[in-house]
Amino acid sequence: MKRAGGLATAALTAAALTVLLTGCEGVQSALDPAGHQAGRIAGLWWLFLGVLTVIYLLVLAGLLIAAIRPRRRGRLHQGPAFAKEPPIERRLTRGLTAWAVGTGVIILTLTGLSYAVDRDVLGLTGRAELEIEVTAKQWWWQVKYNDPVPSRSFETANEIRLPVGVPVRVVLKSQDVIHSFWVPNLHGKTDLIPGRVNETTLTADREGRFRGQCAEFCGFQHANMALDVLAMPRDRFDAWRAAQLSSAPAPGDALQEQGRQVFLSSACVMCHTIHGTSAASRVGPDLTHVAGRLSLAAGTLPYNKGNLAGWIADPQRIKPGTRMPVTGLSPDQLQGVVAYLDSLK
Amino acid sequence: MAIARFAGAALLLAGAMAGPASAQTGTPSDNVPTASVPSDKATPPTAAAPPDDGNWVMPAKNYASTRYSEQDQINATNVHDLQVAFTFSTGIDRGHEAAPLVVGGTMYIVTPFPNRLFALDLTKPGAPVKWSFDPKPAASAQGVACCDYVNRGAAFADGRLFFNTLDSQTIAVEAETGHELWRTQLGDINKGETMTMAPLVVKGKVLVGNSGGEFGVRGWLTALDAATGKIAWKAYSTGPDADVLIGPDYQPFYDKERSTNLGMSSWPPDAWTIGGGTVWGWISYDPELNLIYHGTANPGPWNPEQRPGDNKWTGGIFARNPDTGQARWFYQVVPHDLYDHDAVNELLLLDLPVNGTLRKTVVRPERNGYVYVLDRATGEVLSADPYAAINSSAGVDLKTGELTMVEAKAPKMGKVVRDICPTAPGSKDWNPSAFSPRTGLIYIPHMNLCMDWQSAEANYIAGTPYIGAEVRMFAGPGGNRGELSAWDPLKRAKAWSVKEDLPLWSGALATAGDLLFYGTMEGWFKALDARTGEELWRFKAGSGIIGQPIAYRGPDGREYIAVLSGVGGWAGAVVVGDLDPRDSSAASGWANAVADLKQKTTKGGMLYVFALPQRR
Amino acid sequence: MSSPFHSAVRTALLAIPLAGLGLAACDREDREPRGAPVGDSGPAAITQGSLYAGEPSPPRPSHREYENNAYHLSQGKQLYTSFNCNTCHANGGGGIGPALMDDKWIYGGTLDNIYATIVQGRPNGMPSFRNKIPEQQVWQLAAYVRSLSGQTPKAASPSRNDTLNAKPAEQRMPKEEPKGSSPGGPNLEGRQ
Repeated sequence: MKRAGGLATAALTAAALTVLLTGCEGVQSALDPAGHQAGRIAGLWWLFLGVLTVIYLLVLAGLLIAAIRPRRRGRLHQGPAFAKEPPIERRLTRGLTAWAVGTGVIILTLTGLSYAVDRDVLGLTGRAELEIEVTAKQWWWQVKYNDPVPSRSFETANEIRLPVGVPVRVVLKSQDVIHSFWVPNLHGKTDLIPGRVNETTLTADREGRFRGQCAEFCGFQHANMALDVLAMPRDRFDAWRAAQLSSAPAPGDALQEQGRQVFLSSACVMCHTIHGTSAASRVGPDLTHVAGRLSLAAGTLPYNKGNLAGWIADPQRIKPGTRMPVTGLSPDQLQGVVAYLDSLK
Repeated sequence: MAIARFAGAALLLAGAMAGPASAQTGTPSDNVPTASVPSDKATPPTAAAPPDDGNWVMPAKNYASTRYSEQDQINATNVHDLQVAFTFSTGIDRGHEAAPLVVGGTMYIVTPFPNRLFALDLTKPGAPVKWSFDPKPAASAQGVACCDYVNRGAAFADGRLFFNTLDSQTIAVEAETGHELWRTQLGDINKGETMTMAPLVVKGKVLVGNSGGEFGVRGWLTALDAATGKIAWKAYSTGPDADVLIGPDYQPFYDKERSTNLGMSSWPPDAWTIGGGTVWGWISYDPELNLIYHGTANPGPWNPEQRPGDNKWTGGIFARNPDTGQARWFYQVVPHDLYDHDAVNELLLLDLPVNGTLRKTVVRPERNGYVYVLDRATGEVLSADPYAAINSSAGVDLKTGELTMVEAKAPKMGKVVRDICPTAPGSKDWNPSAFSPRTGLIYIPHMNLCMDWQSAEANYIAGTPYIGAEVRMFAGPGGNRGELSAWDPLKRAKAWSVKEDLPLWSGALATAGDLLFYGTMEGWFKALDARTGEELWRFKAGSGIIGQPIAYRGPDGREYIAVLSGVGGWAGAVVVGDLDPRDSSAASGWANAVADLKQKTTKGGMLYVFALPQRR
Repeated sequence: MSSPFHSAVRTALLAIPLAGLGLAACDREDREPRGAPVGDSGPAAITQGSLYAGEPSPPRPSHREYENNAYHLSQGKQLYTSFNCNTCHANGGGGIGPALMDDKWIYGGTLDNIYATIVQGRPNGMPSFRNKIPEQQVWQLAAYVRSLSGQTPKAASPSRNDTLNAKPAEQRMPKEEPKGSSPGGPNLEGRQ
């Protein structure tokens, strides 16, 4: 009975561990690194886990031994106890000294290692080939690709695309409250603070789609303030970049044309930019190539036409408190606007 | 005359060459021989500043923009007798920045919005109205005029008057009768375009430019056929070279102004389409070189972080061929402008000895606090010396022409940058200086203000302002908010200066009687000794003076001085707009600088004309 | 009279209105992101003068859900910047447009008047924002404009500025009492 119970416990533990470890994989996990920095951080994490697990087990074992070992009564309390140090005392002193020194060495080693990893991770900053400026706003991310030639800079939102293997400097700003930029698969967290400019460097080692998330509580829709990060081969990135630089395509049919007109003459134009039109406000995300993005409303919904229509029709149901208002477009107008926006690849 | 000057120049050149090498460096004026050849002092080119006929046909007096009258009946000994000859109420209470014009016994005044034009008959006692013309501009234009509904004057040529209306029309009127000849709609108020500048007529073309740099407009200067009002050419200040009229003739002095389509590549994508660079300031013209000179205003929005790059061709000076509009050279005074420093101030054409050589120069007291001297044939910067308190920049490198900015004073989003001097309107705004060839001094009415600035994200919504900054201005070092400086272009230093409590927003007038006239925002109209700066006479007008005084010879042969009073403009918005100065950012920060103005003056437009008492 | 029962009843009786007060205070923070329509705001609802034919019309109900609510007022404050109100009216001191923090109302100072001014525009330069700003945001803006001159409850008015601090926050502004105006009626000082 006792054995069966132990077996069950072991099986359960194993199952739980498996579940936990599979949780480590995925688009938003620090334990599934896809970048140099995240790799170093994950390595350090595993090392810490290993070392600390061993120590934890040792301590537990010590406790266990102390608990179950029969007491040798009287020995320590006999006669003039410290006249001559008994061998057991000496052993204890040595053992404790070794334990303390060992602990110190381990702590110092771990400190040194994390320092080294920190240096390594930060040392990449100077070698960035690409600069991305991320401005956090309640509750979305404005992403600017800067370039020494200003006309080759462009803007997108809630989505970062990176070429694989290229260190990318990410300049972090905030326009309202403190946010934190965290793409666990690529790097640790960095805060975005109003009035301050922070920096971090991302390097993706492999292709993939990752999820970033605001990691500092920033208000009502903090939980729905995510971003997609796409690491792609250099050539595909360059092609994407070239496409982003172009103005929005002209409407392809009558419905899109009608949608464009609705967009420019309704509340949309008060907040959004579409390059190539007179819409150039910066309250909300730049929509010049909105249909090419992976998600809507800062990672709240996957991008598709239906979600887009739903989002425009009633954003406050999907993301209560978002600054996108219910605009009260008629069904016809909505249809046109959705058709037009969906053409902005 | 030209030969004599050439000889003088040669003489000077020889003298400088014979002198020690150090004569080429340091302050050139110390080393220039003081022989009495004509070229040892500054003179406007005769072709651009012909002898005075007693009229005043353009606000700047002449193509060289000297604002100097050869009338000398009123002088230091009799000016204390100066008295009002007649007055005329314009009936409009916004800021009167215009210069009256006088042609052959008639005076012409253009008012602020609604831009009425009055002709006053100077041959009759009391100068009764000969005719008036009401262009009836769109009232909504008032909502897109950044800085009060001003108008800086009309221009007269060949029996016609040309002026702009706030809703972006240029109108030609027959000067004798007031009949409209043509009107051309040049801009769209729904995009924020207005027109406030005074046209300049050159070789049968009316040169006009737009205002609205605070509304995300795209700046331009256009030439209209004076006979028909048809557009002869139009030169934009941003965009592709073809739009800017940059072609084979374009030969800038500095390499950084030379590349293809800089008007697009020095902006983020599409930003140039709403990038400002309006042409609302002064234009000068050199008939010998056949070049017009004009500035381009600030890039939009004010928040510089939204427009990385040099933002060509804003904040600079163009030289263009008036026949084709083709650019000859360009110099960007403030690349990637940080502080709303429009480069549209007056451009005085002067022939100046520089380092011992007589150079054809264009001199401009710039908004950023330096007096720039440029070679007007090539666009080379010859000197740039501070005339006011500056802590936002550290001088101009004369080799590269580059202005060195002080990083600590650069605006940043989310941060209040404090105590920046000069302010957004600059050490000196539009209000023009005068130059007297008799004293060789440039009289600069300017300001002494500093500011706090916070950038914010600007949202472009057509028809509303596109700024992205909050500003609060206050008195600069010394506490006086205004100053009139007499600048010696040879010594590159102030000869004298007079401190004023309120910022100066009026133009200056120099006369051959060695007098200098200007007005203050509380309404004092003053005459100073042009050589010493001693105040000789003052008169209190009904409202603050921000206009441009002129001098003319009346039909009776006597000298008259005329000026419009009527406070307003950006500086006087707190009075004309009845703003609340408890908000220190009102009127883009001006309310804080002149919070006391409402107690010192009230609005109301009135023409004052002064003369010496008639001998009986 | 002084029995424990009586005192308990008294406490309870006292507690009920106190709790009511406490709950009422929650209105201040109530977040209604969609915003409640406040009824007829068409031209017929707005009085632009203080002269009436016959007896004056009864004052319009004040739209307390906007004016007494900190959420709506702070939304209004954000929108005031987002939609470029501040670029003409500054932080209430005015500039291109008139001051909004003083005791003068050219086109009327009630919530309805301000709503109408924003939506309709005005002939001397105020742009029309018809179809450009959703209705509930216009109400938020209008309520915020009233807070600039202290017309909204101090407890609900915004208490801090995010930028230059050009003037004290709305909560600390003294209440301006428009002269010569009646409910729904503006001060008739015109604008040239």
